[in-house]
Amino acid sequence: MVKVIIKNLTKKYGEVQAVKNLDLDIEDKEFFVLLGPSGCGKSTALLCIAGLLRPDRGEIWFDNKLVTNPQRDVYLPPQQREVAMVFQDYALYPHMTVSQNIAFPLEVRKTSKSEVVKRVKATAELLGISQLLDRKPKQLSGGQRQRVALGRAIIREPKIFLMDEPLANLDAKLRVYMRVELKKLHQKLGTTTVYVTHDQVEAMSLGDRVAVLKDGILQQVAAPTELYDAPKNTFVAGFIGSPPMNMLNGNLVEKDENLTIDLGVTTFELPHWMQEKVKEAKVSEVVLGFRPEHITLTGKYQVNTIEAKVEMCESIGREVHVHLTVGDNSIVAVTTPAEDVKVGKAAWMVLNEEKIHIFDGKTGGILA
Amino acid sequence: MKLPSPTRVLLYIVLILIAFLIVLPFWAGITTSLKTSIDVIYTIPVEPPPSPTFGPWMDALEVMGRPLLNSLTFTIFATIFSCIIGSINGYALSKIRFKGSDIVFMFFSLGIFIPYQTVLIPLVLTMSKLGLYNTLGALVLAHTAYGIPICTLIFRNFYKEIPDSLVMAAKTDGAGTWKIYRSILLPLSAAAFVVAGVLQFTSIWDDFLFGLILARGSEALPASVALANLRGTTTANWNVQMAGALWFALPVVIVYLVLGKYLIKGYMAGAVKG
Repeated sequence: MVKVIIKNLTKKYGEVQAVKNLDLDIEDKEFFVLLGPSGCGKSTALLCIAGLLRPDRGEIWFDNKLVTNPQRDVYLPPQQREVAMVFQDYALYPHMTVSQNIAFPLEVRKTSKSEVVKRVKATAELLGISQLLDRKPKQLSGGQRQRVALGRAIIREPKIFLMDEPLANLDAKLRVYMRVELKKLHQKLGTTTVYVTHDQVEAMSLGDRVAVLKDGILQQVAAPTELYDAPKNTFVAGFIGSPPMNMLNGNLVEKDENLTIDLGVTTFELPHWMQEKVKEAKVSEVVLGFRPEHITLTGKYQVNTIEAKVEMCESIGREVHVHLTVGDNSIVAVTTPAEDVKVGKAAWMVLNEEKIHIFDGKTGGILA
Repeated sequence: MKLPSPTRVLLYIVLILIAFLIVLPFWAGITTSLKTSIDVIYTIPVEPPPSPTFGPWMDALEVMGRPLLNSLTFTIFATIFSCIIGSINGYALSKIRFKGSDIVFMFFSLGIFIPYQTVLIPLVLTMSKLGLYNTLGALVLAHTAYGIPICTLIFRNFYKEIPDSLVMAAKTDGAGTWKIYRSILLPLSAAAFVVAGVLQFTSIWDDFLFGLILARGSEALPASVALANLRGTTTANWNVQMAGALWFALPVVIVYLVLGKYLIKGYMAGAVKG
């Protein structure tokens, strides 16, 4: 079990900066998720941890052992890092049987035959694939291949698990199932895990902490609930949550010593708790952010509400998604609309004032 | 039963015609090789032999027996060597990223286009310096060297199709460069070995020029040169020549019969999907 410390990691592919000055502290036994859209540098960072890719700058430490530092010419090859990796395409050796696949890391280490047999058996039982040991990867379903790949990773008890979108190739139902299995496995083994995904639901459900990356730059590292409740900028706010946070651009105006946002079509007075904070920032352009579930809809005008047009109601079963427009902006509310709210008519959005966010309109950073 | 459409019928007729044209010389070769010298004069080539005899086959074998063994020896060795070296090169060029690997590959590819004729003199000089002139070793070495570029190209392109994640997985599993080659890539290369092997076998077996200049008139005489010598100086023993040609064609035909179906599979083997 080991802590992973990444300092100032930078990797370029030609002119493209895949990862820029990344700093991360991954705790021992932690399930740590790297989350971001494709091309954000999350896989690059993972490959650097594995030693499969050499960064241009920066350091990687496993506990107090330096494994990568290009400036000081330190580079521990992947064979010696004691990490195990699970790939998106599973990377099972097609010519070997399941049991040969699982046994491969032990075979490389010249483990004794009897020990290999014992551990393959134990691993297969842990993952529920004992009946598949003589099959070739071609004869397995996606979920079964996934388990074999996991088996190959856990059999040698590595210090760190690295997983590169391991569930991305599975169908939706199986993905949810395997997600739970992965979490259980981590609870059982307690191995430090770094998990890369572009799926925010996966990240939120699996991660002890989640790092959000965009264009190679770290946006925020936090526990899932904190990411959701207190995003540091508009990118994180828009990326986490489904449907995502609603955002409206506006200008700050001071009215009777109270800050109000001019949203163009209407104005919205900021709640008292954030007045001071926003004032201190001394900005004029801001973004008002609020989550779909923090909207209540009413058919009658109320003080400090935002007028919107109801475009469509979508019943998902457990909840109703109401699609609205404010000026040219689309808004989604997850709510049970009052009876007087009608499609095609105007409605008023009452926001939960405790839960709204104000971001800087230029930088996207959080103000309050 | 549904009748085939007129275009189908036309297609079949054309195909049969082409097949007939291709088979005709082969047929003439077989019939002539089974005729006595007298029958060769009194019948036309495609006619079946009036009194079939294996005499010409035996006569040809007497002359070509040793050269056939020579050819078989250096062809097999040169094929094996060039395939193994090509496979290792292909692995290095596709899966181990080193600086300048693209340039190295470009030079390998250029090697495919060097005509045999341009290297004849340096080749003879080199072989005599090495003390290999007029030996089977010279032919093995020359054909191995000449086969490396094309084999490298075949294996490199084949290995490109094998996902990099397999190599990365093996690395994190603890396998070193050679272990990855032996345990992962080599066992997956059967199709490429068949394609490269058949290609090399036929082109080395069929080669005339290297054999002529490196082992002419020696103990190491290849079958292709011996076959050319069969034509005689004053008379043309068509039946013996045809028998010799058929003896010469036999190994290649056997290779195709045995490996043909793998060859087609190999050509079509794009991705090695798990």
